[in-house]
Amino acid sequence: MKVLLVGDGARENVLAYSLEKSTKGYKVYALSSYINPGINSVVKATGGEYFVGNINSSDIVEKVIKKVNPDLGVIGPEEPLFHGISDVFRQEGIPVFGASKKCARIEESKAWARELMWKYSIPGRLRYKVFYTIEDAARFILEYGGSVAVKPAGQAGGKGVKVIADLEAYLTHDKREALTKSVNEIGSLYNKEGEPRIIIEEKVDGPEYTLHVLTDGKTTIPLPLAQDYKNAYQDGIGPETGGMGAISGPTELLPFINSEEYQTTYDIVKRTIDAIYKETKERYVGVIAGQMMLTELWGPTVIEYYSRFGDPEASAIIPRIESDFGEIIELTATGHLSKAHIKLNEQPSVVKAIATLGYPISKQMASGHMIALDLDKMKEHGCMVFFGSVALEGTQLVTKGSRALEIVAMGDFKEASENLDKCIQYVSSDTKLIYRTDIGKTVEYQSEKAEIIRYSYKNRERRGILGISADWSPNGGLW
Amino acid sequence: MAGILGILAFDNVWNVSRFLYYGLIGLQHRGYSKSGIAILDKQRNIFTKLENVAPEDLEIKDLNGWAGIGYAGIRNSYPMTIDNGAIVVDGIIDNANILNQVIKDPENAITEIKKPISFIAISKDGQLIAYRDELGLKPLSIGGFGFDLAIISSEPTSMFVIGAEFKREINPGELVIVDKYHIESKQVRIPRKSYCTIEYVYQARIDSIVNEKDIYDLRVKIGEELALEYPINADSVIGVPDTALPFAIGYSRRLNIPLDLGFTRTGSPIRTMLSSDAFLKVVGVQLKLNPIKSAVKGKKIILIDDSMVTGTTLKNTIFNLRKLGAKEIHVLIGSPKLISQCPYGVEVPEEKELISANLDDEKIARVLGADSIHWLSLEGLFRVIGHRNLCLGCMTKKYPW
Repeated sequence: MKVLLVGDGARENVLAYSLEKSTKGYKVYALSSYINPGINSVVKATGGEYFVGNINSSDIVEKVIKKVNPDLGVIGPEEPLFHGISDVFRQEGIPVFGASKKCARIEESKAWARELMWKYSIPGRLRYKVFYTIEDAARFILEYGGSVAVKPAGQAGGKGVKVIADLEAYLTHDKREALTKSVNEIGSLYNKEGEPRIIIEEKVDGPEYTLHVLTDGKTTIPLPLAQDYKNAYQDGIGPETGGMGAISGPTELLPFINSEEYQTTYDIVKRTIDAIYKETKERYVGVIAGQMMLTELWGPTVIEYYSRFGDPEASAIIPRIESDFGEIIELTATGHLSKAHIKLNEQPSVVKAIATLGYPISKQMASGHMIALDLDKMKEHGCMVFFGSVALEGTQLVTKGSRALEIVAMGDFKEASENLDKCIQYVSSDTKLIYRTDIGKTVEYQSEKAEIIRYSYKNRERRGILGISADWSPNGGLW
Repeated sequence: MAGILGILAFDNVWNVSRFLYYGLIGLQHRGYSKSGIAILDKQRNIFTKLENVAPEDLEIKDLNGWAGIGYAGIRNSYPMTIDNGAIVVDGIIDNANILNQVIKDPENAITEIKKPISFIAISKDGQLIAYRDELGLKPLSIGGFGFDLAIISSEPTSMFVIGAEFKREINPGELVIVDKYHIESKQVRIPRKSYCTIEYVYQARIDSIVNEKDIYDLRVKIGEELALEYPINADSVIGVPDTALPFAIGYSRRLNIPLDLGFTRTGSPIRTMLSSDAFLKVVGVQLKLNPIKSAVKGKKIILIDDSMVTGTTLKNTIFNLRKLGAKEIHVLIGSPKLISQCPYGVEVPEEKELISANLDDEKIARVLGADSIHWLSLEGLFRVIGHRNLCLGCMTKKYPW
């Protein structure tokens, strides 16, 4: 069976890996904007072909489809989904793993997602306001009280989120001043005619985790939880990134999320899938992920949704699945998910991303660097390697500005994390490498945090005030 | 003794001057007679402000920049200007010239430093360079504020005050470099842990985490240990505010003797021991704590303090308590005897000024006018802390460096 995989990064490398590993004998074809070395080796090993081109262009995708005549499409990243690439496959009568343009709106527009949650009274929703102009957003920030998260109203590659806890009255002015200044930048990240540019939400606090749910439009299957590490630098300090690493397990949970919370989260995502169907009249096919936070306000709370696999979460989750994940992708795309069964390796996994100096602040600075690695030595140490933002140019690996590699190890968190640190020694570059050694080593601290939060939301539950919150300020009034 | 601080914003929209200012106030229990801030602006200029005032009185109106360092202490003038930057130091340095190399070649500069110090420097090209001595004598921690700021500070207290999150203590002998593009850490010297005992019993604030311990818990345990070592039959336990209050809580809990608030404060909570001026010291003692008559009248009192230097403060305190009708006053000190000075910059005076280095317990009690006096034993201290990797120089005259 011929499979056409669309996308460039480490997440697509993981998907390619599970297609290669499958007993179904998939022939993997790929369309990327550059030659990803990991995907390339899968394409070669399975006898497919590699195409380079704009993955967001319907024309180009259509041409490649005509050439390959695939039996199945798999779309990795969100951008092609927003551009309706999965719809192109369906118009050609090819089953595809990937949400339609309309369904992918759950990720593309944060404003739409929040509106949906309020309209259908889905638990775990946050108070929010949308703004069409930067001036209005800036005024709101200056006039209203409370802690806020300011975001582009639509997906902007995980960039631009500013979260401000406003708990110290003596610093209010300085924090709001900085926020107002950054509104310009945040507002420039998502600018679509007729749509809000900025969304401001109440700020919540707690351990974060992600639940991915596979769905063919009828059946849903939840995958094991994962947690990604957003801060760029060591010890959870520094600017926001797509994720510098992730952990998953043991079992389908995380040490700081219990099975009741897992179930509640799954219910929230299922209700969201239903609501999307009611709004769009289209069945959601592919994967939807709830980026969650355990908060005092609700317990499981939605921060945002993904219409695809999280990256690097995919690298933490998929290698733990012992059943034929390539086949499960096919069953999802073809509407036979009810036949699928997930068998899980109960051991945890840890992922670390490696980027070059400059990421995430300066893509230019992080681009165009040589990178080299001793893959055999890394495998000897029990690390799997997935290639991300790094292109095979001739025989050289050249960085493209984002996270170049994701390496994965299984085992107890601390042990796996240390194992990965050993593997990183076999990666070299003509510039400094950026990675975090603390990933997988802060689990105890997060359990303590979760336990404290659990008291409070359980208390709210008993008092019947889950999700009820407000802010007030003399200038802005009640919000 | 000093509090040092560094803050760097990953994004130019921040003006960190007020964060430095409040961060320093969160460190002024470590010294407050001199303070200063150096700040780096977008044009890569460093502006420095230092004065002989407490951090709260520092005028920062004109300061504006995205990264900077700060100092609250009692000696020297920090931040000190060095080649291509500025530096703040906790500890005593013999050769200030070495500090000039910190920005150019931090690793080599550190190998040439001959005293246990912690420092934070800021360079004109936007690096925060921080180092903690290999003994861990001087504390240093790192934290973050969302996706926006990195903060390095003597104690997490300055992180709490600006709403940042404490992440971890910097290891003894570890060099940390923070700039916009990365945070690098390197173990430059092999750690030989020898934590300052004074940090545990007196210096650090009770909401701090220092040298791998929650300070409040540790001090309550010291009080419990005192109760085991010297159980005294009394009506009331009183701790001298603020440092000795947790000791009193521990003692009271263990022996089921009621705890009372024996004093109230006049003026701001300045620390008498840190005052550079002898007159101010007296003013501090006389002015800051006034005993409460109904809490002590007709009672047998256990009076707990954190340390004793010349004994003057305690003598006055005991005199005042007697005047208000305390029947008996038994003094307990939450640390072993101070008998020798500190060569590393902690304000323990030289031997001739230390009452417990010169007189035996009976004489000390006579001087103080107390019914009895006892100190926490060294063994008791080890039991509470749980290890012996401690600098006890001022208590044993054995110095680790």
